[in-house]
Amino acid sequence: MIDKLPTLDPFVIAGPVIIVVADIIVYIAVGKLGTRSSGKGGKYQPFTGGEEQIPARGTYQSELFVFAALFMVVEAFALILAGSFASPTNFYPLLFLAGGGGIILVVTWWLMLVGGVRF
Amino acid sequence: MIATEVAEILIFPGLTFFVWIAFLFDWLDRKTSARMQQRIGPLVAGPSGILQPVADFFKLTSKEEIVPEFADRFIFFLGPPLFFAAPAIGIIFIPVFGTTAIVSNEYDLLFVLFIIGFSALMAAFLGYAAAGRWSTIAMGRLIVQYTGYEIPMIIALVTPAVLAHSLSISGIVQAQQNIWYIVLAPLSFIVFIVSALAELEKPPFDIPSAKTEIVGGWMTEFSGRPLAYIKLTKNLSYAFLSALAVSLFLGGPLGPVLFADPVLQGALYFVYFVVKLLAVGFLIFVIRTALARIKIDQAVRFFWMVITPLSLIQLALIMLVWWK
Repeated sequence: MIDKLPTLDPFVIAGPVIIVVADIIVYIAVGKLGTRSSGKGGKYQPFTGGEEQIPARGTYQSELFVFAALFMVVEAFALILAGSFASPTNFYPLLFLAGGGGIILVVTWWLMLVGGVRF
Repeated sequence: MIATEVAEILIFPGLTFFVWIAFLFDWLDRKTSARMQQRIGPLVAGPSGILQPVADFFKLTSKEEIVPEFADRFIFFLGPPLFFAAPAIGIIFIPVFGTTAIVSNEYDLLFVLFIIGFSALMAAFLGYAAAGRWSTIAMGRLIVQYTGYEIPMIIALVTPAVLAHSLSISGIVQAQQNIWYIVLAPLSFIVFIVSALAELEKPPFDIPSAKTEIVGGWMTEFSGRPLAYIKLTKNLSYAFLSALAVSLFLGGPLGPVLFADPVLQGALYFVYFVVKLLAVGFLIFVIRTALARIKIDQAVRFFWMVITPLSLIQLALIMLVWWK
């Protein structure tokens, strides 16, 4: 049961909101200095540098998605490590770091060395 | 009270102060690289050209803003200010005058980690929204590079948190009263600086914005006000990541206490902070000027096979030796 909720500085929420609002207001105000135009053809075409235009959506190797999934696992591992200092001893954080980190690094290195990741 | 807090957030030592620091960083960056390359650098606007970044910003905002035919108009319009908001929000958690930031919370380091990720995501969105040849290629490079540097950066930032037993940036600064964490965790500092170079797209990791390969990278289709905002955001991120390094590894504004008067001592803390900030910034200016760009596969390999293990080794050493 929670006896006492931690106190929260209201500006932890209000601060970012104030900055985003001020930022958008200034952005709109600064926009009055120049002109804005949109349309079709001519100068509104994407810059190609003389090359053939490619589709707006790029094509990627399917291995990239395997790599992205691995990235998500490691990201979660790193974020769990962020909370490890709350542990009363260093045994479990070290065990988690050595075990998890070791497995992840061996898998990643293997994936890269056998050419499982192409960019 | 509320007005004071809002003024601190928006003016000093918050947003406006850091925007000027961002302009200063831009000028110092250009001057340093010019000197290292036997050039003069900015010279005309202001003394020694110090106002050149400000002049460039207003010149760009007064130019025509062209929205390409196939661009996603919503992201094209709203993306640049949201991209700017990421480092702008991050700076309010950085202690500048004393050991407490304008806004502080027990878990603000996690929030800052989210902000760093959000910033890279917004850059990718902007590249996608522009729907151009070069911006599409750059967006792919940006995401791939992000998968490389994000993990070691998180682990490098977690190391001071483990040392201080706190996920609050202000708490970590307070825990460095006796010793700066760069002494206890030098590898984490190096990992953070290398990862910051990749986050900032500075050489040798300027792969997503490589001018000689992909024109302007993911910024190719932007002009006028959005381009001015994007360039300012990159410089603000520069200042923000340097300030984060100062807070987590160099004791933030802490330094020798010379005055009994809290106001004078507060001013001295501010001077310490700015000096450390410029020192970290200068380190990045020199590295980025001295090194040449590497390829995307080399960058990712380097991060996964060298930098990530280094960050894990440093964290393991800290847990073994310095666990409280």
